[in-house]
Amino acid sequence: MSRILPSIAAPPQDPGYKASIKLTEFLLVMVQLGLVVLLFRQFQIESAAFIRLSVLAFAGFAIHAWLPLRYRLPFFAALSLAGIGLVMGLQNGVWLAGIAGILIGICHLPVVFNVRVALLVLVGGVLIAQRGALLPAPWSQAIWPILGSMFMFRLLVYLYDLRHEQTSGTWSQKLAYFFMLPNACFPLFPVVDYKTFRTNYYDDDAYRTYQVGVDWMVRGVIHLLLYRVFYYHLSLAPHEVEQPSQLMQYLVANFMLYLRVSGLFHLVVGMLHLFGFRLPETHNRYLLASSFTDFWRRINIYWKDFMQKLFYYPAVFKLRKLGTTNALVIATLYVFIMTWFLHAYQWFWLRGTMLLVWQDVLFWAILGVLVVFNSLYEIKHGRKRTLGKEERTWRDVVKLVLKTYATFWFITVLWSFWTSETLSDWFSLWAALGGPYDAKFLLFPLLVLVVIAIGSIPRASIRNVRATQQSQVDWMRQRAVTIIALVALIGIGVEGVSTKFGPEVATFVHSLRSGQLSRLDTAKLERGYYENLLSVDRFNSQLWEVYSKKPANWLDVDNANLKRFVPGFQRTELIPSYVFNSRYGPISINRFGMRDRDYPDTPAANTYRAVVLGASSVMGWGVGDGQTFEQILEDRLNREHAGAPFERYEFMNMAVPGYEPPQQLLPFDRALALQPSAVYYVATGREIRRAVRYLANATRDGLEIPFGPLREMVAASGVKREMDETTAMRTLSSSGPSFLLYIYQDIVEKARNRGIVPVWIFLPQVRQGQWTEETPQIVEIAQTAGFVVINMEDLYAGKDIASLRLAEWDDHPNVYGHQLTAERLFKELMARRAEVFDAVRR
Amino acid sequence: MGEPLKAAIKDFILKEFLPGEDPANLTDDLPLVTTGILDSIATLKLVLHLEEKYGITLEAHEADKEHLDTLDRITFLVSSKMK
Repeated sequence: MSRILPSIAAPPQDPGYKASIKLTEFLLVMVQLGLVVLLFRQFQIESAAFIRLSVLAFAGFAIHAWLPLRYRLPFFAALSLAGIGLVMGLQNGVWLAGIAGILIGICHLPVVFNVRVALLVLVGGVLIAQRGALLPAPWSQAIWPILGSMFMFRLLVYLYDLRHEQTSGTWSQKLAYFFMLPNACFPLFPVVDYKTFRTNYYDDDAYRTYQVGVDWMVRGVIHLLLYRVFYYHLSLAPHEVEQPSQLMQYLVANFMLYLRVSGLFHLVVGMLHLFGFRLPETHNRYLLASSFTDFWRRINIYWKDFMQKLFYYPAVFKLRKLGTTNALVIATLYVFIMTWFLHAYQWFWLRGTMLLVWQDVLFWAILGVLVVFNSLYEIKHGRKRTLGKEERTWRDVVKLVLKTYATFWFITVLWSFWTSETLSDWFSLWAALGGPYDAKFLLFPLLVLVVIAIGSIPRASIRNVRATQQSQVDWMRQRAVTIIALVALIGIGVEGVSTKFGPEVATFVHSLRSGQLSRLDTAKLERGYYENLLSVDRFNSQLWEVYSKKPANWLDVDNANLKRFVPGFQRTELIPSYVFNSRYGPISINRFGMRDRDYPDTPAANTYRAVVLGASSVMGWGVGDGQTFEQILEDRLNREHAGAPFERYEFMNMAVPGYEPPQQLLPFDRALALQPSAVYYVATGREIRRAVRYLANATRDGLEIPFGPLREMVAASGVKREMDETTAMRTLSSSGPSFLLYIYQDIVEKARNRGIVPVWIFLPQVRQGQWTEETPQIVEIAQTAGFVVINMEDLYAGKDIASLRLAEWDDHPNVYGHQLTAERLFKELMARRAEVFDAVRR
Repeated sequence: MGEPLKAAIKDFILKEFLPGEDPANLTDDLPLVTTGILDSIATLKLVLHLEEKYGITLEAHEADKEHLDTLDRITFLVSSKMK
């Protein structure tokens, strides 16, 4: 071990003086914090739990700021523990604190360092086995992401400092470090350095530190709102990219989703400033990186520092005998290999599964090699640095803008590769370059150029100095920016203000005021019930966080083994005469292969028999026997309306989990033998896309489409078996409405020819969001096809989503959801009885 | 010894990393690591220079903000190693 130096930590000023705040300054900060809470509420920043935590933090600040300095750190540690209890509940909080206590305690056992490390590895191994569901864990699954984010990296930093420092800090410092207040809400958390956490504590004027915290929180909100613009309005799925202009949009929007990470990190570090932790900035205008090394230095700076401290410098210092350049090259590559590994390690703690995908490996390998070349160039040619406002000629500015512009596009392309679900998805994107070029193609390239040109205007380049070292002009300018941004954002968020700019602006602003999943992520969430989606936008998506809370042993509908494979276009069906005991109650499948009670082969006289077609929400995944909406409806009709006009009502549930519109044609054909009076086709949204996806996959799998006209339409679109899913979907997408119309018309025609009443019901998903974009079109298609249309799209309006669905990661309606549906459908049928009951030929 | 040592280190930093910069701007307490003046490559160059010129050996964990962030700290580190 190296020789230990005398402590050089604290600057010479008296921290007691620096830590005090005047009443007027305090009031000024409190007013701004009040506005920040208003902003959080108005735009539903992150979650209700985060807003509660913010109120706790800001109230805590009001007390903390006036405490004598020696009490502040213990107070912050206690407040952080209270925050964990507030967000996770008392029981989970106690478990988490207990596990944390064991881990921190081991670090300080009175045994040699290596034994402590071995013990930590042992305990870590047990926790890994528990996280991977190989061993049982007595605590809730909800603990894992937060426990993981608190310890997976911080423990490494802590051990490193413990090994190399004379003092490990007080217990208040340790608890404050591991339980940092905002962490309770954010599984994705910046890797704060322990030494910086300690040494930067109240090392500047308190008021200015607090004020910087407010600035950064406001900046974080701006990042998050910009993120929502891209997430809700500009993100595209790969199969939607058909033209060069859409490719540009895809690349930019995909990269800009990272704004969520930078926004959250600003909120986290801003909040920590309120308690005297003058931590450095987490991101430095990363869109303005002018080289790959510059990008690595600007984006997620804490990660770069962490890797530098634990891996880069130790490797370089050890390898110096090989020559500086060799050491630098090897150490840099080592850092990127470790970055890849640690991302997979992080994924494991947050999700409970291993992440091993080629895009990850290649992304870090390519970035690593690029940074190595850039570093070698910098060693040879140097890098321009300045302590003040840089003086640049026009030639310098143009050169910088061009370099930045090129770096930006290279990074966006690399980023699109990293975040693509599959390699074939990514390769298929580039076919769009063969599409038509129009003026829209220039939109994003020009927009990016303007942003980079403005950002490249020379300004004071010195960053992260103490606020007291800043010029008064800079300081006042920052105050003005924060206040103006706060007031402007709150103003925009007021409905009465945004509506003054017209309905389009009001709708746009409204869309930014909620933290829901985008249409693409909602679709992915649904696909996740049937497929193991590894990617879920690995490091930039809200969906990723939803998945992080999902217990490893959670049973999705597709894993319940309710279905069996059948040859041909239908692919699967429910296993007849089978009972499965789910956590929601028994799921009994009758001899016909319906999740329903048994019925006679043919209906008794004067019986209204309806066959109900749909997918898992209709089949009733999430409720026990007798609790599906169709059965509640059937029971009620028999109870309240027997004899008016039918003696008896039978609703036969033919829904099958995962069924897409084209598949519904086959069970319907079978259902005709059951002599129904009516067919109820229940659509739950995105019918066109679902039809397209199913037909694309059927084509790729070589399944023959058993319906001549549909088969011809698919063939005419030009789709080929050898196409990947994205290309096949892109090829079929323009014919999507025609496919759906054919499917609907086929059902209607066969029904009408037999005197069967065709009813089409729109049953919304419990989650509000942009998935509804297709709804008007599919309602119109159903009407055109000749269905009796019952549109219940407002069924769940104004209801708390948590009371309607199974879990945050499973949007199937629960018992209450089915009850609501049955009640509403009953009313609709009563109101439309002439069309649905009286029209039946008897 | 402190002042000449500090001046020599300052000269090196100005010449190597801040050519053309007004020496008055590089104050004793100006942060160099946190402001990005001393990035990882510059830090390595500085470490190699200090080791070579003053015959000292620095450890990996000393290549950080605590030891290298300001001229004052660098000077203190070197002088304490030379004792």
